[in-house]
Amino acid sequence: MKERTVAVYRTAKKAVDEFTVPYNERTTILDALEYIRLQEDPDLMYRQSCHHGSCGTCGMAVNGEFVLSCIKRLADIPEDQAVRIEPLPTMHQIGDLAFDPAGFFNEFPDDITYKRVSDVNTDAAVPEDMEHYERFESCIECGLCVTSCPVTVDWMGPAALASIHRMIEKNPDEADTWLDRAAEKRGVEQCTKDFSCSRVCPTGVAPGKRITLLGSMIKKREKARASEEKQE
Amino acid sequence: MQPMGNVSDTHVVVIGGGGTGAAILYDLVQRGFKATLFERGELTCGSTGRHHGLLHSGARYVVKDREVGRECMNEVRILKRIAPEAIEANRGIFVAFTEEEEAYRETFEEACAEADIPTQWLDADELLAMEPRLNPTLRGGVMVPDGTLDAYRLPMHFFAGARQLGAVIRNFARVESFVFEGRRIAGVTVRDLRTGTDETVACDLVINATGGWAGKLAAMADINLPITPAPGTMLAHQGRLVNNIIERLRPASDGDILVPQRGLSIIGSTQWQSDDPDDCRVPDADVELLTNAAIDMVPDFKDTKYHKAWAAVRPLAGASSTEEEGRELSRDFEVRNHGTLDGVEGMLSLTGGKATTLRIMGEKTVDVVCEMFDVEASCRTADEPLPNYRQFFRHGVLV
Repeated sequence: MKERTVAVYRTAKKAVDEFTVPYNERTTILDALEYIRLQEDPDLMYRQSCHHGSCGTCGMAVNGEFVLSCIKRLADIPEDQAVRIEPLPTMHQIGDLAFDPAGFFNEFPDDITYKRVSDVNTDAAVPEDMEHYERFESCIECGLCVTSCPVTVDWMGPAALASIHRMIEKNPDEADTWLDRAAEKRGVEQCTKDFSCSRVCPTGVAPGKRITLLGSMIKKREKARASEEKQE
Repeated sequence: MQPMGNVSDTHVVVIGGGGTGAAILYDLVQRGFKATLFERGELTCGSTGRHHGLLHSGARYVVKDREVGRECMNEVRILKRIAPEAIEANRGIFVAFTEEEEAYRETFEEACAEADIPTQWLDADELLAMEPRLNPTLRGGVMVPDGTLDAYRLPMHFFAGARQLGAVIRNFARVESFVFEGRRIAGVTVRDLRTGTDETVACDLVINATGGWAGKLAAMADINLPITPAPGTMLAHQGRLVNNIIERLRPASDGDILVPQRGLSIIGSTQWQSDDPDDCRVPDADVELLTNAAIDMVPDFKDTKYHKAWAAVRPLAGASSTEEEGRELSRDFEVRNHGTLDGVEGMLSLTGGKATTLRIMGEKTVDVVCEMFDVEASCRTADEPLPNYRQFFRHGVLV
């Protein structure tokens, strides 16, 4: 196995510690952190759960890029580049690379659902007692979009707004109620259309596009309401 | 140990923030105990979150063990009711790709019937109509009520329930040692990784819910706990190819389950044995083995892109020295009272178990706790829907 040096941010010294880690073509940033914790420093703090990009816990900044550490491969960083691992800057830091995502989750409305109709083999037969196959939403709530967003005012942020757009896609009948939420002061109007949220999303949710679509829906509704008033 | 008159005065410390710890903690506070959970890392960071996500109807185990099969089926019914948002409630299909597998049908269906697991035989045409990407050489398959669970969000539902009812949850807090009063454990010393400081927390009972690490933790109290950490590899590719779980109609072996989850296809798993639960690096050979196994079942898998290979440790109850013996160890769980078994009062350990049975593991453990402290409170975790996992974070940051 090859070896390489990685620099990891440590809260206690407000600076990085350097470690040498073995790696092959599959080794991820999270694997490297696991090696460091188990072989070098059991006190190293970072979040992790699923190890395959589904739970959304392990977001970090690697050389300034916001990634899920469990799927970001060390071998994909050119060998002549140093590797610097830091916590996601906008999250509530609790130590080293770990954060508490309470603030992030608080932006999601309570009644956002997490399942959808499956989008593959849509013509396939289903068991008699089922209407359709189902799956979890693509958004894994990792917060990378929120971290990458350049908007600095207090607002709902791309993840929560994308989830509202998904609710409208799933339940067109409830569009009005959800648009009311998106049209709040802390909602769509704060978006500056930077689209960094869509670029950084590890599961292709495209929050930027969804926020734009919400904006169009809100405008269309305003127009419709205005012309209704005129007619009256 | 003296039974406590007032339930709420009894303080139970749960060690291990995985699915088992989550279910125990929730059940404890629901039955009126004071409870604190310590986890050395982030919640679910051990084996729990790394699960491939197969919600077991029990069919995989039922030929070998009817009771484990029956218990899984019952838990599937309950979990779909109390945590529907954490389950892709499609089906599982045990497919017969070979003559040998087709011949296993009768044994399999009989065992399922005895354990109350509903089955439906699908002939080749029916099966391909449901799952068009399956290898068309198949001969048919048995449909069972398996599904896909979210290995992170399902336990977080239990943590949300526990937190709502006042449980204290401490992540990044590592238990360093036990505090003894004679032969009785009276507390734990914990290092808070956030602050780097040690503190002692008094309690009436410690529950070791550390899964594959249970032997290591028990050794800190000079207890020999027979447990076999048995890691296995899983492989995820990008692209969902099927909607139902695809399994092979034969006794459980390597590379025989393909789990669709979100936009991924996950093939599992392998099994080896390790002295150290922390050492579960993926053997190179496993990736090729699993890739080929997936292609055997669903040929389109070869056109999908590698996403991740990872390993997790199963906490098999009992000791075994060979891998063949390991495969024979039951997937059942056991609550061990070290007072009666080892002469160390004030500590229970859980060994064995599976993701699907987290709730019933909690129930049976807290039944033992109630008996120890002479408390009459029946389990309600099967009856009441859990709060959504996002509610966990509604109570503010953990401190």
